[in-house]
Amino acid sequence: MVQLRPRPSRVPASASAMVDEGQPASEEEEEAEHGLLLGQPSSGAAAEPLEEDEEGDDELDDEAPEELTFASAQAEAKEEERRVRETVRRDKTLLKEKRKRREELFIEQKKRKLLPDTILEKLTTASQTSVKKSLGKLKEVNVQKDNEEREKGSDSKKAKKKVQKVQTVGQNKSYLAVRLKDQDLRDSRQEAAKAFIQNCLYGPGTNRTTVNKFLSLDNKRLPVKKAAAQFLNHTWGSQKKQNARRFKKRWMVKKMKTSKK
Amino acid sequence: MAAAERGAARPTGDNRTSRRRRRRREHCLRTSGLAPLALPGQSARARGAGVEKAERRVASSSAGIRCVAYNNQSNRLAVSRTDGTVEIYNLSANYFQEKFFPGHESRATEALCWAKGQRLFSAGLNGEIIEYDLQALNIKYAMDAFGGPIWSMAASPSGSQLLVGCEDGSVKLFQITPDKIQFERNFDRQKSRILSLSWHPAGTHIASGSIDYISVFDVKSGSAIHRMLVDRQYMGVSKRKCIIWGVAFLSDGTVISVDSAGKVQFWDSATGTLVKNHLIANADVQSIAISEQEDSFVVGTAEGTVFHFQLVSVTSNSSEKQWVRTKPFQHHTHDVRAVAHSPTALISGGTDTHLIIRPLMEKVEVKNYDAALRKITFPHRRLVSCAKKKQLLLFQFARHLELWRLGCTVATGKNGDTLPLSKNADHLLHLKTKGPENIICSCISPCGSWIAYSTASRFFLYRLNYEHDNISLQRVAKMPAFLRSALQILFSDDSTKLFVASNQGSLHIIRLLEGSFKHLHTFQPHSGTVESMCLLAVSPDGNWLAASGTSAGVHVYNVKQLKLHCTVPAYNFPVTALAIAPSTNNLVIAHSDQQVFEYSIPDKQYTEWSRTIQKQGFHHLWLQRDTPITHISFHPKRPMHILLHDAYMFCIIDKSLPLPNDKTLLYNPLPPTNESDVIRRRTAHAFKISKKYKPLLFLDLLDERTLVAVERPLDDIIAQLPPPIKKKKFGT
Repeated sequence: MVQLRPRPSRVPASASAMVDEGQPASEEEEEAEHGLLLGQPSSGAAAEPLEEDEEGDDELDDEAPEELTFASAQAEAKEEERRVRETVRRDKTLLKEKRKRREELFIEQKKRKLLPDTILEKLTTASQTSVKKSLGKLKEVNVQKDNEEREKGSDSKKAKKKVQKVQTVGQNKSYLAVRLKDQDLRDSRQEAAKAFIQNCLYGPGTNRTTVNKFLSLDNKRLPVKKAAAQFLNHTWGSQKKQNARRFKKRWMVKKMKTSKK
Repeated sequence: MAAAERGAARPTGDNRTSRRRRRRREHCLRTSGLAPLALPGQSARARGAGVEKAERRVASSSAGIRCVAYNNQSNRLAVSRTDGTVEIYNLSANYFQEKFFPGHESRATEALCWAKGQRLFSAGLNGEIIEYDLQALNIKYAMDAFGGPIWSMAASPSGSQLLVGCEDGSVKLFQITPDKIQFERNFDRQKSRILSLSWHPAGTHIASGSIDYISVFDVKSGSAIHRMLVDRQYMGVSKRKCIIWGVAFLSDGTVISVDSAGKVQFWDSATGTLVKNHLIANADVQSIAISEQEDSFVVGTAEGTVFHFQLVSVTSNSSEKQWVRTKPFQHHTHDVRAVAHSPTALISGGTDTHLIIRPLMEKVEVKNYDAALRKITFPHRRLVSCAKKKQLLLFQFARHLELWRLGCTVATGKNGDTLPLSKNADHLLHLKTKGPENIICSCISPCGSWIAYSTASRFFLYRLNYEHDNISLQRVAKMPAFLRSALQILFSDDSTKLFVASNQGSLHIIRLLEGSFKHLHTFQPHSGTVESMCLLAVSPDGNWLAASGTSAGVHVYNVKQLKLHCTVPAYNFPVTALAIAPSTNNLVIAHSDQQVFEYSIPDKQYTEWSRTIQKQGFHHLWLQRDTPITHISFHPKRPMHILLHDAYMFCIIDKSLPLPNDKTLLYNPLPPTNESDVIRRRTAHAFKISKKYKPLLFLDLLDERTLVAVERPLDDIIAQLPPPIKKKKFGT
């Protein structure tokens, strides 16, 4: 049996109970207990709805718990579900609309960016003819390259090494597009190679010492020991020194101004 | 000889004389009566002679050595440096640097080799194989190997094929045709970059060293036969990958590998197994070179030690032989990245920019002083020019020029004092070269208003204007087409003419006008092969021009009549310095075997003094000097004096005094004042040598009373180098 917290009972509290709080507390408790026995909601039959007295919290606390019928609970739950479903539907529709609007906006922007239709038409016709030409050229170049005594390690390299030219558009032939990837490839490889050798010889794990320590080694072994080759570190605190210099300059200027006045 | 065997250094200029004799040689300079003048960079040192000592704490002018290749037929050594410069040393001409090819910014040479017919090839990280033209002194062509950066290159024993190991793991074979190289085929592609290559002497197999493994290829099929895995650490485990820096293939099938764990390993290529393992260093072993007879090889380590391995019999009369590490040499302070093995010497070069040639005692036939260690540190040509009237010095570096004005002092003092400067030296100009190429040669006119320099493809001429303390530079545009690259540039004494020796062998004379120039004449190249870099000298009166460098001898041209006047007979050693005396018009020539000739141009014959000294011969200590004479100059008022210097001494030859024979002391100490005049006269001879300023980069007479000397201390060079390996020494 579950101990429910004391709920306001159906029976209104008597005047005597209101005056005297000590005893009626116990009486209410007894009533509450009794009410509990009565007030247990039966599983099958529909119970009467519980009336809640909201006159006074103290008394309401001592009353019996309300009866909560299954039907009501069911109805409430159904309501909740319906509400949730509706909100979700609304959100979805809102999102959909938002997306639609965004798509339209993008399409419009794209349209604005693209060249006018006339040039596009020219482009498509030109590309059809020149693609054929360039294919032919590529084939020739391929054959030439094979005849030359160059055998590539992999075919992908072959494609990369070729400079692909974008066909010039229409009247103005003032620009030429070249794949920058080809140029960068060579430099990046060289850089990688240099980094590799630098790492091998001077990187972590190699047992290198500084030039200062190397030159001071002799000084340390002389019969009269001398200081290191570069004893002072003049780069220490460079930022601080610079700040100090600037402050001094400003202070001097200020001092001059005040002294003039 | 025992001392030399132990690896004692040949007494170079600085420690050849004992300490007792190192007292300064004042006598010669006192008699010349030169007065003190200021020193830029530090206080002036007053002596009876006034000398300006210029010390420069500037960037090192020479880069570390990366590869070395020895050619047996011509006994020449090709050395490539980290900035792309390739130098050719003639080992039989007293180890003189005859030719050089300037470097390039993008060229990082990683491999150098000689092929059949004295052809020199190099390959680098920019992926190109470059062939050098040793006659025209330029680059013939550069061919891209299409494999990415190239790490190693080896020429076949027959000299007709070239093998190249690339970054992507491919080994490419090229055929060497008479005028170019032609790609033949690729070998099996490996997984990691190919760092070293070696041919079998029969040309049938190839060993290649990569990262953590060595492969043996069959040349005919191009497939990898064996793959030998190398331990990362000698009997241990290590996280760092083992990089095989060098491999060598012997004719009995043994492959010798050196790697970054400090091991030298012997492998059997027939079975692909390890035969012997030597741990010789704590750091990388970076290079290996085998002799032709295959009974000795040399390896260089990152600690600067060079080890000599020899094939010796196990017991004195057994036929079984084994490889034994015989001699260690510690002549370098930084990594030894390249070694070569000539029939009689071990050659090593590394990051510390020294080139060391160590003759092996057992191979040398004549055991005289020449069989001692040679250390080449300083350049064999003049890199400083002087504008005497304006007291300016122009320093030539690899990629820029610097112009300095000398300081001055008003104080006076006695002999040997150091005077304080009243005005410090001024750094007037720092001129960076345009483009990626390095500078070949440069010059400043004596009046100080013209600067000219040349790279491999362009020639630059600048006009300088001085207003009060400011200096302004103006480039002379539109150089003529024939003036592309110059090997030597010289201005005439009155600064009106410019003489340019171009690398096609022709000599151009250009007249300089205010802000522009006019081409006067071109002397076409005469017969004879190019033996060394051309040197020029012009007489102070402007009539005569001397040019050396060909096998025909030194040509002397008449500038006024624009024709060839005469040719000094050819000598079998290259010319290291050339100068024409002011009033007598005597041409003084210094050769790499330390011979000095004096030739009279108007008379077209050698002078009396020259004949006398040739008959008597130079003093043996004079002939045993290491470094070549790089500059000769004269005193304007004293025709009997010749001033010349090399890296460790400078000398004033007084032609009026008697010549020293082998018994007299060459490096005369300062005679004590209480000795009588008779003794002083008896010990005096023509060669007055001073070793006070060393190492000397440049020394010249500014005017009658001043000398300027530029020193290059070794510590400065070391301070610019990359870090060396840490060596733990007891007590530090």
